[in-house]
Amino acid sequence: MDHAATKPATRGGPPAPSGPVVSQEARQPLWRRLLYSDLFVLLLTLIVVLALLPFANGLLSPGNLLNVASNFWPLLLIVIGQTFVLIAGGIDLSQTAILAFTSVFGAMLMTTAANPALYAKSPFWGILFNENGGVLGSGAGVAVAWGVMMALGALIGLLNGFAVSRVGMPPFMVTLTTTLFITAFTVWSTKSENVLNLPPAYTALATSWIAAPIAVVVAVIAHVVLSRSVYGHWLYATGINARTAEVSGIPVRRVILMAYVLSGVFTALGAALYTARLGAGRPTLGANLLMDVIGAAVIGGVSLMGGRGRITGAALGVLFFVVLTNGLNLMGLEFYTIMWVKGLVILSAVGIDTVRSRLEARS
Amino acid sequence: MNKIWRVLTTGFCLTLVTACGSVGGNATPSSNATSAGGSASAGGGLNINVEAGSLAGKTICFNFQALETEFWAAGKTAISEALTRAGAKVLEFNSNEDANRQLEQIQDCVTQKADGIIFIPQDGASANTVISAANTANVPVVAFNRPPADESGKAIVVVADNRGVAKQTVEYMVTVAQKQMAATGKKLQPLIMVGDLADVNAVDRRSGYFDAMAGHDDLFQKSIEVETKWDATTAQQNLQSAMQANPKVDFVFTSSDFMYPQIQSVLSPLGKWKVSGEDGHVILGGLDGDNRACGLMKTKYVDSTGVQDLLFEAEKSISELTAAIKAGETAPSKKVLDPGFALTLANMDTKQNDMWGCVIEPPK
Repeated sequence: MDHAATKPATRGGPPAPSGPVVSQEARQPLWRRLLYSDLFVLLLTLIVVLALLPFANGLLSPGNLLNVASNFWPLLLIVIGQTFVLIAGGIDLSQTAILAFTSVFGAMLMTTAANPALYAKSPFWGILFNENGGVLGSGAGVAVAWGVMMALGALIGLLNGFAVSRVGMPPFMVTLTTTLFITAFTVWSTKSENVLNLPPAYTALATSWIAAPIAVVVAVIAHVVLSRSVYGHWLYATGINARTAEVSGIPVRRVILMAYVLSGVFTALGAALYTARLGAGRPTLGANLLMDVIGAAVIGGVSLMGGRGRITGAALGVLFFVVLTNGLNLMGLEFYTIMWVKGLVILSAVGIDTVRSRLEARS
Repeated sequence: MNKIWRVLTTGFCLTLVTACGSVGGNATPSSNATSAGGSASAGGGLNINVEAGSLAGKTICFNFQALETEFWAAGKTAISEALTRAGAKVLEFNSNEDANRQLEQIQDCVTQKADGIIFIPQDGASANTVISAANTANVPVVAFNRPPADESGKAIVVVADNRGVAKQTVEYMVTVAQKQMAATGKKLQPLIMVGDLADVNAVDRRSGYFDAMAGHDDLFQKSIEVETKWDATTAQQNLQSAMQANPKVDFVFTSSDFMYPQIQSVLSPLGKWKVSGEDGHVILGGLDGDNRACGLMKTKYVDSTGVQDLLFEAEKSISELTAAIKAGETAPSKKVLDPGFALTLANMDTKQNDMWGCVIEPPK
């Protein structure tokens, strides 16, 4: 991502200034306003539902809606993290590694029992966990373990952010190599074993009525930070043009660093929900999730060029993705057909993002 | 502007058409099985006994992993075809080794009001998660060939006696080793290629190997364990490293037959890919009983193969599920053990047709 690229101010960011710009918006044709609006994604979602309804048995049944919700919440948290980084003009490819890493370490801390035959060769055996469980394997310990997971996610984000903002390395390469390191470390930590026997109090998080308020609260906080806080304004400005932002007095390096830290934290929160859902800390958690995350963010209007995106849009992008995947599953399509469709959808979303950027550049 | 609209509209319609173009689901057996052998469908010899129409009007969800070995490909084909012959509407899902995707697909099966579920677990932990989801939805479920990590859920578990079969296989290899030592006076250097120890099958096969090796310290050096994670690339790399460090290895047990190509590619350049009886032959054994293993036994590169009775397991999976559905059981709990057997160069003439890999058509 070229932080120095010159780009005009974009929509999807902080509230637009008043005066002539507001008048210009009002004069824009409906299709253009729709293209920039979060409603576009909502409309797409409704079209998909209507299109698939005759073919996807049970799409709107209460049970299926609950399934969609349980698929939605953890993915939303991860996409929120990616949104911060994308708005800053970067990208975080290490989210899948952070997912697995925090899943495994959280599970090691929380497990209520561990089989020595499987884990005795783990370097953390006898330190973080043993045959009687993890050091935090009790009621209150679950909350602490969550905090540790978030801290670990923040730490990896800090490393990514430091390399990108201070050293000036390309985000793509930094986060890709972080993925290699963290994945290897995760596999080494448990010798590739899943960590089982998680406390019931923790796995209960997988139910929608607990996961939902957690995800909603987090999303609201993220939305407020992006749209109302000084940091949010700085983030957009950095993503639009980092050089200009720096000249204006914005601490660009700190802004970018914080974006990656937040990405790590939100990813760890997503890992907590996925881990509860699967009932185990898995060193392979999220291995195939990266394209879903980036695809959902882009579909939701978060620009790969930086400087544009909203939490509301990202959430709608996640909804679209989850509904689409669910609908295609219910149609009984082969998994590779589903992958083709998802690939086409993501490609289309990127195309729309490019079109949006060009239209803005012209205007 | 008009051009942009045309492009966007066309792209979106193309996307939807691609999805809607495959309407109808998989009510008939899929022919897209992928395997190491590359065959689109494993042909003759995979018909298992199933009562025609026994599942008429029922919807059965069949969830499997990526079919990277002959065993899984053949198992998938056998089960799919048998379910269709039984008159069931089959919903097939490939979770591509993703535990989270498998859970989502099982939930989607429940949404589509499946009457029963047969699934191949990714591992023991994910098996428990799926079984729990099926139990909550009151849908009878069968775990095929891979057991759950624990018995907290209620399911019909059809699994081979991996430990016993591995022990039988290695016991024959030990008898060959005894003859070799008698001739040379030298201890042998054994090596075991271990599967993914998150998979109970891998754990049991390793245990069976060591059961057979116990008490033969006079015959063998300490066993070298090569980790494979059930992955061909990992297996080859680690075996290469092990052979580099221990060139005198002359006794190899592989926890799964699918790794024979990797073993051959490592042993061949070292001049160790020899048939039984030839000077320098590495005593070789494996487990599964696939078509490749059959071929290698016929050409005497492999001394002994532990056979999972694939057809027995597939037949039992369907018959037990059918019985549970007919009895109205929503959470049947049962373990069906496939005793298996060891096919060796000594009993090859009489028992080779009991091995499924010798019965199916070889991959094209």
